[in-house]
Parts: sequence; structure tokens; C-alpha cells
Amino acid sequence: MLFTLALLVAIGGGLVVRARLHREQLAYRLLADLPDAAAQAPSLARFAASVAKPIFAEHCTACHGVDMRGKPAVGAPDLTDGVWLWGNGSVYDIERIILYGVRAGISKTRDVDDMPAFGLKGTFAYQGVPGFEGRIVGGAALDSGEVWDLVQYLLKINHRPYQPEAANIGERLSYQGSTSCRDCHAADLKGVSDYGAPDLTINVWNNGGTPQDLYDSIYYGRHRMMPAWQGVLTLEQIRALAVYIHSVSHGDRR
Amino acid sequence: MPLDAQTARARPQQANISGSAGRGLLNSSRRRIALSVAGIVLALALAATGLFQKRAPRQAAVPPGYAALVNGQGVLMSDFISETQTETEKPFGETTAAERARVLHQMIDEELLVQRALALDLPETATEVRTALADAVNAQAAAPALAAQPTEAALFAYYQKHRARYESYGSMQLRDLVLHVGGFRDTDQTFSQAEADAIEAVYQLRSGASADYVSEHFGFADSGHVGRGPELDFAAKLHLGSQLYQVARRLSTGQVSDPTATSDGVHVLIMEVRRPPAVEDFPTARAQVYSDYRQALVRQADRANLGVLRGHARILVTPGLSE
Repeated sequence: MLFTLALLVAIGGGLVVRARLHREQLAYRLLADLPDAAAQAPSLARFAASVAKPIFAEHCTACHGVDMRGKPAVGAPDLTDGVWLWGNGSVYDIERIILYGVRAGISKTRDVDDMPAFGLKGTFAYQGVPGFEGRIVGGAALDSGEVWDLVQYLLKINHRPYQPEAANIGERLSYQGSTSCRDCHAADLKGVSDYGAPDLTINVWNNGGTPQDLYDSIYYGRHRMMPAWQGVLTLEQIRALAVYIHSVSHGDRR
Repeated sequence: MPLDAQTARARPQQANISGSAGRGLLNSSRRRIALSVAGIVLALALAATGLFQKRAPRQAAVPPGYAALVNGQGVLMSDFISETQTETEKPFGETTAAERARVLHQMIDEELLVQRALALDLPETATEVRTALADAVNAQAAAPALAAQPTEAALFAYYQKHRARYESYGSMQLRDLVLHVGGFRDTDQTFSQAEADAIEAVYQLRSGASADYVSEHFGFADSGHVGRGPELDFAAKLHLGSQLYQVARRLSTGQVSDPTATSDGVHVLIMEVRRPPAVEDFPTARAQVYSDYRQALVRQADRANLGVLRGHARILVTPGLSE
């Protein structure tokens, strides 16, 4: 009887020690490797998911949703579709965003520009210009009808039902001087991830894709933010989240 | 129970342990011991595999996730990668060891300078450092507030509450005639003489006499304070001075002021064209309302942040002083 008990205790203790050491080793490897190397090792990806899931549930679901598919009402992107506003969706890029956020009010944050409010009188001219923020000079860049024309053009290039005449006007407007969409969204409108300017041709919309949503985005502009998590979460948690989100965006929901 | 009785009960069982059955039990007991020993050895071996696994180096000089440790302060690997890519304009994987070393050297230098700045207490002694720190905290506090897109209803409510802010400038085109007194500009008449003449002049102007006739007849001079064209209210105030401007702003087109005495004489204002200030309607003022609304959010966030900070702070003020 005594021997059996000793045997069980010894086996149990051995397993606990082994599991703890194994976890320590994985945690070390998760951070010691370069960010994207971690995503290549299945054991690390599984470990990252086990660490990240409860953290995601606690801190991220409010904006990105329990299913990680985002919430247009707050402009939080879908994390499962492999479409990225900033960077190319590497673990490194995702980790930078978790570390320092987007427009989080710190200099390391991702914050090049906003989507200007083209329908509002003069406001777009001084967005983000130090010392001139909020100064109202001049008229609106686009009137309401022109914004609707642009919406029709967006519908056209996304292969959705559209009004041809309005879309033709919208296309011309998309090239026009200070209101040119192509300054930020690239000449082919496929977006520039350095600016966080989305691809306008793949029918993926963070703030909703109805014609009214598109109108509102152009007329009123968008200014979305994501908080910086450095200092709130540990480095291990942040790396685990980055690896987990990377895995999910590549179709792995372990 | 007495011991003898226990012994008596045990005996028949002991009596049965004999022959082949007894040998079987003996073997079984040995086997159990052997198995237990084997199990313990196995368990220890299992634990040992954990012990002999490649362990995370707990006492590593640089913790994982960091590129360097400078006086105990880490340089984040992510920051190092980012800085290297920015400096070299290449993906990190394509950078050379020499390039990485150069960037890391710079980052360590910077970290040393920052640590030195803290050691020198620069946040206390350098105004620009204090300002930068305060601004950075405010910016971080305001970021979530700025991210919220206001609804039209919220903007309209704000506009209604602050309508006076959205008053456009009025404009005025007027003549400012003056009867100089007391030797001012070679005029010797007394103040009472000038005032009496001005009263009469105002009467005639209001009765339809032309400004040029009255000016000629009573000896008025153009004050030269205002131009002949329309001026926005703020410019007119600047040119007329506060006293005369307060008189002018109440006049409508075609009205003549009462005589107004100032240090250089008695003035009569003739308002030729007056466009009074007006509150812009909401669609016209909307862009400014939007901007003001957001700035109000920033101020609100700053105040809330300071409220929290003060709530957690222990502030003592020298007796006799207050904040």
C-alpha cells in the first residue's frame, strides 16, 4: 500500500515538474526567437494560443468581438480575414500594433494620418498639421453629391451594383487635386499599409460596407484608435497574442 | 478484544498459507515490491528527464524579448527590429550583422543618455522636458476620446449650448466727424461750445442735411480713424477705440449718433452701412462645431486624467499658499 502511494506521488510529482519545466522552456523560446520564427513552430503556436486565448477574451473582445471578426460600429477590424491595415500581417507587425497601438497618443504608435472628412468645410486641410489642428479655413473638399459619386465608384470597383454615370464622375473625383483618394490609397487604390490606408478594391470595410457607411467614411472621415498594451500586458502575453492572431488569420484556430 | 482471541482468529488463515499457494503469495509479495521499486525508479527517471531537458536560462544576461540590457533597463527586440528597418530601409532579415550592430550601438547610447537625463532630474530642471512629458501624458489620455466619432445629435446639442461662439463678425461703413477742442489741432473752442455745435449738427443731420454740408458749416473734421470702406467689427473697434466703437455698434444703417466726447473733441458718428453680427446656422457652423466639440473632449479627458492623478496623489501646500 505504502509503495503504491509512493509510486503515485512520485509519478505525479514527476509529471508536474516536467510540465512546469516544459512550459518555462516554451515561454522562453516564444520570446527568445524572432517574432515570426515563433509562428513557424507548431508547439510554440499551440503554446501561444493557450496563453493568448484568455487574454484575448479579457482585453480584446470588446472591440474585435468574441469571434475575432471585428465590429464595424467601432471600426475594429476583422482579425481572421488576413487583411491588414498596418504592415503585412507578420507576427512582428501584429506585435508592434499590440505593443504601441494605433493613434494611441504615443510616438511609437501607428499614426500617420486620419481618413480626412472630405465633406466638412475646410477641416481636412489641417488634419495632423502641428499648430493648425482644428483650424477651419476654406470650403468643403467635396459636396454631398460628389461624395455619393465616389461611393458609386467604390461600388463599381468592388463589383457591386452601381450607377454608371455617378461612378464615372466618382472615378474622376478620385484623381482630383487635393481630394485625390490616390494620395493615400495608392494609384491603383489597393492601399498603402505604411499609412494604414486600406485597400479599396477587395470589399473589406472596417467601418461597414453599406453605401451609407461608405458615404459617412468619406463625408465625416474616420479616426479610430487602438490602445497600446505595453505596460498593461507582459511581453510574453503580447508575443503570444501576436502569434495567436497570426495563426487565426492564417486559418488556424487551435 | 484480547490479544489471544486475535491470535486465535489469525491462526486458521496462517494455517492456510502452506504448500504451492503459500509460495504463490510469497512470490506475489516480492513481485509487488519489485514493481513498486521499478515504478519509483521510473517516476524518478520521468522527473529527471524534465530536469535534464534544455531549461530556460533563468539567469540569462538579457531576458528573452530584449535586444540588450542597459543598467537593468531593457531595449525591446521589437524596437530594435523596427529601428534597424527604419535606419537601413531594408527588412530586418536582409540587414547585415554590421548594420544591426550599428543600430544597437545607437540605441544603447540613447538609452544611456535617457538614463543620464533621469539621473540629472531633467524632468524637474529642463522646461522642454517637462513640457514634453506633460504633453505626452495628455495626448495619451485624450486619444480614446478623440477616437469617438460624435453623432449629429451630440454636435447639434453642443452648438445649441454654445451658440454665441458661432456669431459671425459684423461690418460697418461709417463717418467719424469730430469737433476738436482746447487747441487740439489749432482749434481754440471750448468743450461746451463744441458740444452745443455738435448737438445742433446732429439735429440737422437727422433732419436730412448732408454730412458734407454739416461738416463744412460747423467746422467738423474727419477723425481719420476709419477708412471710407466697410470694416469688420474687430477692425473698426481697433480703429475707433473702445468708447466710440460701443457707440457705433448700436447704430443701424443711416443712423446718426449722439455727440460723444473723447479726449480729442466731440465726435458724431454717421453709420452709412451696417451689417450686424449674426449667429451662423448649424450647417454653416458645423465644421467649426465639430472641431470645437473634439477640443472640448480633449480638455475633458485632460481634466479627468488630472482628477485621477490628484485622487491618488498626496499634495502638501505651504501654509499661507493655496492653489
